[in-house]
Amino acid sequence: MKKNIFIISAITGIIFMGCHKASTTPGSVDFVTLEQSVINDFVNNVAIGQYSKLTDAAVSLNGAITTLNSTTTDANLLVTQTAWKNIRHVWEQCEGFLIGPVEANDYDPNIDTWPTDYTQMDSLLASSNDLELADIQSLPQSLRGFHPIEYIIFGENGARKANELDARKKQYLVSLAADLLYNNVQPLYQSWTAAPVNYGETVLKAGNGSNEYATRLDFFLDVVGENGMSGICGEVGSGKMKEPFDSKDPKLCESPYSGNTSIDFRDNIIGLQSVYLGLSGGKGLKDLVAAKNKNLDNQIQRQITAAINSFSNITDPFEKAIIDQRVQVQQTMSQLETLQSLLENDLTVFLQENMKD
Amino acid sequence: MKKLYIIIAIGFFVGSFSMCHKADVFPDNGYDERLSGGAATVFDVSSKAFTNMIEGLDGRNAIVHEMGDAAFERTFVAPPSPVFTGLGPIFNNISCVNCHRNDGEGIPTAGFSNSGLLMRISQPGTDTHGGPLAIPGFGAQIQDQSVFGAKPEANIDISYTDVQVTYPDGSVTVLRKPTYTLKNPYIPLTTGYMLSPRLAPPLVGMGLLEKVTESTILSFVDADDKNDDGITGKANYVYNPYTKQTEIGRFGLKANTSTLAVQIATAYQQDMGVTSYVQTEESAFGQEQLNIVTGDVQPELPDTILNHVIFYVKTLAVPARRNVTDENIKQGALLFNQVNCSGCHRPTMQTGVDITLSQISSQRIHPYTDLLLHDMGDGLADSRPDYLATGREWRTQPLWGIGLLQKTTGTPYYLHDGRARTAEEAILWHDGEAKKSKEQFMQLSKAERDKVLNFLQSL
Repeated sequence: MKKNIFIISAITGIIFMGCHKASTTPGSVDFVTLEQSVINDFVNNVAIGQYSKLTDAAVSLNGAITTLNSTTTDANLLVTQTAWKNIRHVWEQCEGFLIGPVEANDYDPNIDTWPTDYTQMDSLLASSNDLELADIQSLPQSLRGFHPIEYIIFGENGARKANELDARKKQYLVSLAADLLYNNVQPLYQSWTAAPVNYGETVLKAGNGSNEYATRLDFFLDVVGENGMSGICGEVGSGKMKEPFDSKDPKLCESPYSGNTSIDFRDNIIGLQSVYLGLSGGKGLKDLVAAKNKNLDNQIQRQITAAINSFSNITDPFEKAIIDQRVQVQQTMSQLETLQSLLENDLTVFLQENMKD
Repeated sequence: MKKLYIIIAIGFFVGSFSMCHKADVFPDNGYDERLSGGAATVFDVSSKAFTNMIEGLDGRNAIVHEMGDAAFERTFVAPPSPVFTGLGPIFNNISCVNCHRNDGEGIPTAGFSNSGLLMRISQPGTDTHGGPLAIPGFGAQIQDQSVFGAKPEANIDISYTDVQVTYPDGSVTVLRKPTYTLKNPYIPLTTGYMLSPRLAPPLVGMGLLEKVTESTILSFVDADDKNDDGITGKANYVYNPYTKQTEIGRFGLKANTSTLAVQIATAYQQDMGVTSYVQTEESAFGQEQLNIVTGDVQPELPDTILNHVIFYVKTLAVPARRNVTDENIKQGALLFNQVNCSGCHRPTMQTGVDITLSQISSQRIHPYTDLLLHDMGDGLADSRPDYLATGREWRTQPLWGIGLLQKTTGTPYYLHDGRARTAEEAILWHDGEAKKSKEQFMQLSKAERDKVLNFLQSL
């Protein structure tokens, strides 16, 4: 009998030893190297890469508006509208990682405050107040940024014609585009790449003398949390979509003049996906997750894809879909809810368990 | 006979134990000292550390919290507008978050879109409820922004001069002393007015502080300074415009507001020009420019939204302390008590009962305040009385979350007007009832002072 016990304990011991793998212990050298390369690629390919694209898009929009101002034709208006949609495309993807200067230095509220204050905007346009850049940049945020530009170039029902753009509208437009580019988008890019802020450097040094992130884990939690992936997921799913959906009120939709609302939402989730997968062949969070828990990585990737694809079921403009396609809108919100829970619970716990630095 | 002895013996036995009982909080051991907010504590060190919902809210409560959160971030626009209407005609900012950045504090500038400092104004005397006496045409707060067509009441000019402080050990710290000037009043403003700057404070733990009972707050008062530590403390009693009662003041930098509902409704009214069922009058009431906007419906803020925001603020969690086992920080905590910072910044107390929210009910909390008014000396005086608060008195600012301000605001600011750029500068501004503590702090060695500051960073 005693012998049996000895044998059983020996077998048990062997079984447990079999579970031990030296290569996957938390904080092992390979994983730490991987953590750092994910950080490097996030900074260079995702953050700086996307902000660089945003700068290009703002230059294009500014150029299009300058041309529209001097040669006010429907063709040039269309070019401007396309440039606006393009910069929204990039910007909404940048919202997948609202960490650092974009919020701390108010670039986000300066360019993307919603709703627009069109009572004041109409009064301003009807007045004889100066509309130079210096005047525009001190206006309340509800009179600056993407949405006032949208209001002017698309008109209330998206039916703007070039001949409706009078001198004051055009002057306002020119100053808004300059405010966007020179006061916000360019400084945002520089805040990640150059002194005095150089937030790229701050992130790169996470866990290594960074004054913002004492550990690399702090950084990853930030980019997965409220300021990053799960934050934008929640903002779209339980905020921007749910509020107009619950009240069946199209006036609560984000980009009503251009009919761009659904595209904005989808781009937000694509932005989140870029953080997870990485961009331009670089490493992303997926590499960290897959290294230790392939099943979780599969789950997250699948759920992100499912959420993004579900937007194509909403075929009407979102302002209409909240009335006519409630099932489809509900399905997308459910997909986002599942995704958010995966990020907030599973992914966050994964990081906390596997990163010891 | 035997029975009687036994009964008497038992009587003594029980009696002797009940003598030991003091209506006070339980001793420290057995509690996790990281839990600054008791069950309403959250573990988060990110820039969103102040924005978390307390754990365990049930479905409906969680939804109301979320809706309050959304409303808190909402940008208000000039009426008429189908959504979020009611801004102005005069205001200080256009949303709650523009001043309470990440539900934290504001930036000490005035008149910009990211400004979080405002100026109270009044003239000598009191109103019918014992509060500050408003100035005709200006009210009791300067709104330095306006909707199109109206004019700001005035602009606020802020300038600083350096003041050098030398420690007994020879080290030097430079403080900046602010000067506030009103410029460009929209109508002539006669001199003799009193100004008081107020920086938007963090929202940390307001739901818990509302639940600290009046008797607990009053138990901290030492009117005759019986323990001879130079600290007396005084409760403010203020008028509640909704209940129409005089109540103990808890909120506001001079404890001039009694409830969260009034605090929030007054912020909507005074800071954004948005009326509600609690504060029904526009901040521009009595001014000619009141009627510059037309098509307005009163009250501007739907009742449900105000209720959601009140519930939201009430159910925000307090961030947990960090590094509590670090030897330096433990010593810093001892020094903090030794120099008697804790005489006003009371570390521990217990909240009263809340029958709807167990997380804030009967919680052992560490707010580091006594919610009382104290004379803070001439350097910090605004010389503008506010109910029972004199021009030299301020409410003890709670210190929980103070170590996270760097994260939540980007650049931290301290004291009622953000003049202090570091916790050390803030300590050096202390005077009046806090004079002894400040002097003892200055007597400490550099290493010891750093321990106190590190302790503050752990809060």
